[in-house]
Amino acid sequence: MENKNIISIEHVTKRYPVGDGEFTALSDINLQFKKGEFSGLVGPSGSGKTTLLNIMGSLDSPTEGKAIVMGRNVAELSHKESAQLRNLHIGFVFQIYNLLPVYTVFENVEFALLLQNINASRRKKMVMDALEWVGLQDMADKKPSKISGGEGQRVAIARAMVKRPEIVLADEPTANLDAKNAHTIMKTMRQLNKELNTTFLFSTHDEKVMGYLNRMIHLEDGKVRKDEPIEKPQYA
Amino acid sequence: MKLAFQLAYKNLMGAGLRTWLNVGILSFAFVIIIFYNGMIDGWNEQSKRDSIAWEYGYGELRNDKYNPLDPFTIQDAHGVLPKEKSKDLTPILIRQATIYPHGRMMPITIKGIDTGQKTLQLPTQKLELSNAEIPVLIGTRMAASANLKEGDKVLLRWRDKNGTFDATNITVAGIFDTNVPTVDNGQFWISIDKLWEMTELTGNATLFIANQNFTPLKLNGWNFKTQMNLLKDLNDIIAMKKISGSIMYLLLLSIALLAIFDTQVLSVFRRQREIGTYIALGMTRRQVVGLFTVEGSMYSILATIVGCIYGIPIFVFMTKTGIGMPSASQEMGIAVAERIFPVYGAGLIFGTMVLVVASATLVSFLPARKIAKMNPVDALKGKLQ
Repeated sequence: MENKNIISIEHVTKRYPVGDGEFTALSDINLQFKKGEFSGLVGPSGSGKTTLLNIMGSLDSPTEGKAIVMGRNVAELSHKESAQLRNLHIGFVFQIYNLLPVYTVFENVEFALLLQNINASRRKKMVMDALEWVGLQDMADKKPSKISGGEGQRVAIARAMVKRPEIVLADEPTANLDAKNAHTIMKTMRQLNKELNTTFLFSTHDEKVMGYLNRMIHLEDGKVRKDEPIEKPQYA
Repeated sequence: MKLAFQLAYKNLMGAGLRTWLNVGILSFAFVIIIFYNGMIDGWNEQSKRDSIAWEYGYGELRNDKYNPLDPFTIQDAHGVLPKEKSKDLTPILIRQATIYPHGRMMPITIKGIDTGQKTLQLPTQKLELSNAEIPVLIGTRMAASANLKEGDKVLLRWRDKNGTFDATNITVAGIFDTNVPTVDNGQFWISIDKLWEMTELTGNATLFIANQNFTPLKLNGWNFKTQMNLLKDLNDIIAMKKISGSIMYLLLLSIALLAIFDTQVLSVFRRQREIGTYIALGMTRRQVVGLFTVEGSMYSILATIVGCIYGIPIFVFMTKTGIGMPSASQEMGIAVAERIFPVYGAGLIFGTMVLVVASATLVSFLPARKIAKMNPVDALKGKLQ
């Protein structure tokens, strides 16, 4: 299992219609990710990082090629199957946290578990565990509007991690955070990666994030320019 | 589904004032629909009850020639019914006449009735008790239009069976108050024995009122109108009133539903990121459509709860005190009481609940359908127009 690819991107091309023509966001991408990786897609805006992340999260599908996630080709999944894949195996962390404003911190984290029909007592334990991982167990009853940006992003991490997914996809997770919070977030995710062997995949152009990665995939104009393993990350 | 209700409830409570504005207007529509229909139902029941009690009894056996809508038929529309056939029937002989109250001339219908009858609520026993030579009963409307009061004498001119005019003074022995104008307006009630004597039409009747024991039978020259037949006009008027009322409350409901529709359209547009997040967290698009639809339905569920909270005390008060009708309504020609006591049945309340919830669900579903076609990536970016 350790050596098996958890995500396999094979000749993936993604084109969007723009006006009368087409814009190529990704062009013939080939990548493999193994369980437990802590990798990042890096590159300037418009390089295709988020598009690739969305395809791996089965939120989008490639125009050509195959994206095999957890052994399933995302292009061939029905809406229900792709929702199930996301619900059971993939956690998302977004740039602007995307917390649901009317729910408390606890309820935000609990949400994914509600979709899995987990019973209330087990749910409560899992949510409190997740909040403990990110150090927010005392803020369970607060609304997202009452917490800081760094705390919000930690809630988002707890929400992504609470269901113990195999993969966490984080799209520019530190873009809205100051340096101190960015490091706190990255350290938390690194620790979870080590403890739970969860595969973390980032899209970023933040050097602080890059300092934690074991593998950096440089994208430019929708193509992989460099795929470099990092033996000794700067902040690891 | 339970999850959709839990989430929808939280979302609605979280939306605060917007939710309560929608709930307020929808609950108002809910209460008005029930109030209006309850009033129409109350009027309906009261009118039927009064019409049966004062005019129709358990049906009418009419002379074939008699057409109540054609006064020219009155002269010849009468006949004699064998005594054994007239059991459980109260005879009424109708003739045209003229009175001269205070020097004015007024055409009237004079109706002879068995003074001992118990089928109709008309106080005919007053005719028996009166010492006047020719006592008559009139209703309050007739009394007002002829400016007559109890004990007044007035000159009556009529024609006998041969068409010969005769005239005499008659005495107002009693004035009755009824909600049924068709036994009052333009009518004088007199003992049928006296009218037979005056017209030489002994034993004749224009129609008979049946009591509850009467068994309809086929008789040559007569036709039986059942209670249902007789109430048809009243039912038609009430049905028409209901339809015109329904236009009013459909307009009101439409305004409330428009508010929900508008909120839903705005929600789908403004909450794109939230929709994208739901999908990213593992909800199917169908579940998200369901969630938004349930949110819309919950407006109506909350509206019915709120409507019941303030509506039920109002309805209970109304059913006890009734609603006063303006005096002009007494001139409408149909049975309208001075006070109408609305009837709020379970059918009306639950029917209206179903109507409000179903229509709110439908108008919530229409904008929510758009979510099914949403690209979750665009939704997460909040880029959809």
